[in-house]
Amino acid sequence: MRWIMLLTLVFASDSGATHEIADYRYFRSLSIDLAGRPPTRDELAAYDKADFALDAWIEAHLTGPAYAERLRRIYMDALRLEIGGSFQYVPNPVMLRRQQVAGPDGTPIWIYFRRGQRRVDAARDGDFCLTQDETGQQFPTNAVATGTAKPVAQAVLDARTIVVKPWWLYADYRDSMPEDFVAPDWAKRYPGFTPAPALLSEPDGKTTSRAVRVCREEAQTADSGAVYVSGRAGMKKGDPLPGGRMSQPPGDSGFAKNAKGRAVSCLSGTGFSSSIECGCGIGLERCLPNAGPQNEAQAFVIPARTPLGTALPFEANPSPPAAWVRMWWGEEAARFLDSLFSADRDFREVLTSHASSVNGPLAQFYKFLAGASCCGPGADAGYSEPDPLFDPAAVPQALTPEDTATWMPVADRGPHASGILTMPVFLTKYGSRRARAHVLYNAFLCKDFIADSVKLSPSNDPDLTKRAGCSSCHQTLEPMAAYFTRVQESDWTWLPASIFPMTPKPEAKCTGPKPSGLCKQIYDQAFDKLRGAYASPAHAETGPNGLAQDLVTAPEFAPCVVQNVSESLLGRSLAPEDEAWKTQLVKVFVEGGYRMKALVRAIVKSPRYRAGNDHT
Amino acid sequence: MKAVLFSLLAACGTGAVGGGETTALPAHQTRMLDTTPKERRRMVPPEVYLRAYLAWFGGLVPLDVQNRARPKGLFDAWDDYLSALGLPDYKTDLPRQNQSNTLMLATLGRLGEALCVRAAEHDLHGGKTPLEQRVVFAFEMPAANAGPEAAFAERFDVLHRTFLGYPVKLAPGDRAERFHALYKDVAARHASVKGPLTADETGWVAVCTALIEHPEAELY
Repeated sequence: MRWIMLLTLVFASDSGATHEIADYRYFRSLSIDLAGRPPTRDELAAYDKADFALDAWIEAHLTGPAYAERLRRIYMDALRLEIGGSFQYVPNPVMLRRQQVAGPDGTPIWIYFRRGQRRVDAARDGDFCLTQDETGQQFPTNAVATGTAKPVAQAVLDARTIVVKPWWLYADYRDSMPEDFVAPDWAKRYPGFTPAPALLSEPDGKTTSRAVRVCREEAQTADSGAVYVSGRAGMKKGDPLPGGRMSQPPGDSGFAKNAKGRAVSCLSGTGFSSSIECGCGIGLERCLPNAGPQNEAQAFVIPARTPLGTALPFEANPSPPAAWVRMWWGEEAARFLDSLFSADRDFREVLTSHASSVNGPLAQFYKFLAGASCCGPGADAGYSEPDPLFDPAAVPQALTPEDTATWMPVADRGPHASGILTMPVFLTKYGSRRARAHVLYNAFLCKDFIADSVKLSPSNDPDLTKRAGCSSCHQTLEPMAAYFTRVQESDWTWLPASIFPMTPKPEAKCTGPKPSGLCKQIYDQAFDKLRGAYASPAHAETGPNGLAQDLVTAPEFAPCVVQNVSESLLGRSLAPEDEAWKTQLVKVFVEGGYRMKALVRAIVKSPRYRAGNDHT
Repeated sequence: MKAVLFSLLAACGTGAVGGGETTALPAHQTRMLDTTPKERRRMVPPEVYLRAYLAWFGGLVPLDVQNRARPKGLFDAWDDYLSALGLPDYKTDLPRQNQSNTLMLATLGRLGEALCVRAAEHDLHGGKTPLEQRVVFAFEMPAANAGPEAAFAERFDVLHRTFLGYPVKLAPGDRAERFHALYKDVAARHASVKGPLTADETGWVAVCTALIEHPEAELY
């Protein structure tokens, strides 16, 4: 023991001018892990000097972006918080598509529209705002127009559409006379914000688009609209489609019939689908552009490869708006982790914190876009105003959608917020309740689910905590997954208890052979409870906050952090002979207030870390 | 089983074993067992490698490196190399690779060669770049062809510190001599070759490339 202490003292003491090869290798390791790069020649020259203070150097590097990135890598490797194209984000309320028609003089022009936009006229309701009679074309769902275009009369064009200076072309789009048009200097002001070339020119490919023509309903700016009931009789199969449209106009939903005339938020999906007064807002700020009518047409040039962060892309391609949104979801989590590490905050906040930070694109998402996935069949139960995981009122008002560079703190996202657990990137990366629970079990308790080797017998028991062959894992997994009962799967919509009680109300019509859509989506008939809650209704009621508390107070939490960090810095798995050292590190970590700096300091100054480099 | 017993009995039946003189076992050397933990060295994380690479390339951003290197045939596109470096792809749940493989080593070699050629063009060729602006070859070229060994070692030490992080005098074996031999050999082979670099510069490119591909550069 004494010689270990002696070694520690020797290794930890400041070096003199006469270094051995092991000293240089140790310094190089420290530089790689704490400064994010090998030492420069100047740094080596400084290290060679007799007065070089290694302890002070270490202390100075236990903070800052490179240190934060090093620790972030550990948890990003474990959680992989980036979303690829497999998660399609194309909600109709926020996606502005465009079709090409012939203008009054025969020149091709773009008209932007939303699929599903409510309009009074049955020939246009839920569809493109110009008809076959007016354009000579038909407009299939998610595809380019068919037929021979004929010039649209000026009067028709003026009646159906309006010219708007949109947010993606004008930074000051909220002004009455926007002038701050997209220009080369935006690359410095808004690094990474680059509209795809297809958004910047007219159909001739030469003329610069200085504004966009959009259907009038989409250009509306009201915050709320009245629930609209068309009163149209339901169409039967084979009935002629009005105005040459290619699909049936939307009917009146049960919600619309029950809530006719009631005010509904235009920021919710329910407002979009049930009111003719809801549009994309000022400068179309509630919508994302697509350079085409299809899902995921081009919108922005986005970094495709970013191992050193989005500010240093290795590749950039024109990509759909979904990729833009997904990228910033991932960036929010990365920034959140960085802020924990660089400010040396209590690491338990990774799961419990109500705080975050946002830039322009994220502010736009939380203010205007996030509510679009609410509320589906929940509207039938009276849920039409989203109870958000990230309160839009908490979003800094100063941020414009293109302002990628300014990150502003948000001290409290709202009562349901809980570290990374309620961030869109986590909730969509791990779409199911069980997937969410599993990855947390793995990353924060360092445990995994390993099935029993039992003979599987046929079973239709819906309770997986009892079913043979399933129960060994699901006894733990199901109660953990239950914490996410009130967050819809592959989404961030919160299901408030005031509207969705644990056991369905009789009006939800969950009994009988034909349960309602609400019942099928929200409730589980097998247990007569909210879907996902059966193993622990109590967990369901405490939500992600409850899970976060359970995880950070679990006896495995601190040892798991120590294991993750030390294994990453040592570059090997911990072995049984490391157990005493690990216990010591856990003590350092916990007594240090669960802060990473104390833990990392103890690891990099340990003989084990130095010995990580003892091969020649 | 019977056959085994029979063969054993037959072996015993060849006669009694005679007694012999006993002799002391010869003394053997006692060697202390080294029980200190021996670790497998870690791979330099690809993020660290890339950051260092960009700095050595002149502090350019990645897309500028590609634009600068591609027309000269030094480089294809980052996309061709990044996957091979062992980077994780969080979008597709591709994990980080913590062990090297032949493709990774070939990629590091290709990138290293591109860097060294570009650095020689910038730092050495024509002697136009002031010493303080030289990123990799931060020394004046020796006057003579190969230069005396001491002159080589002094300059080699600059590269050795840059890529491996310690003075060459501490390197195991006869590293300086072997690299000097490499330098002389490559320079001699290019003595009559017309190319964008002189024979001496090409020799230094070979030294640079060999160093950046050295296992010590890729491990820590």
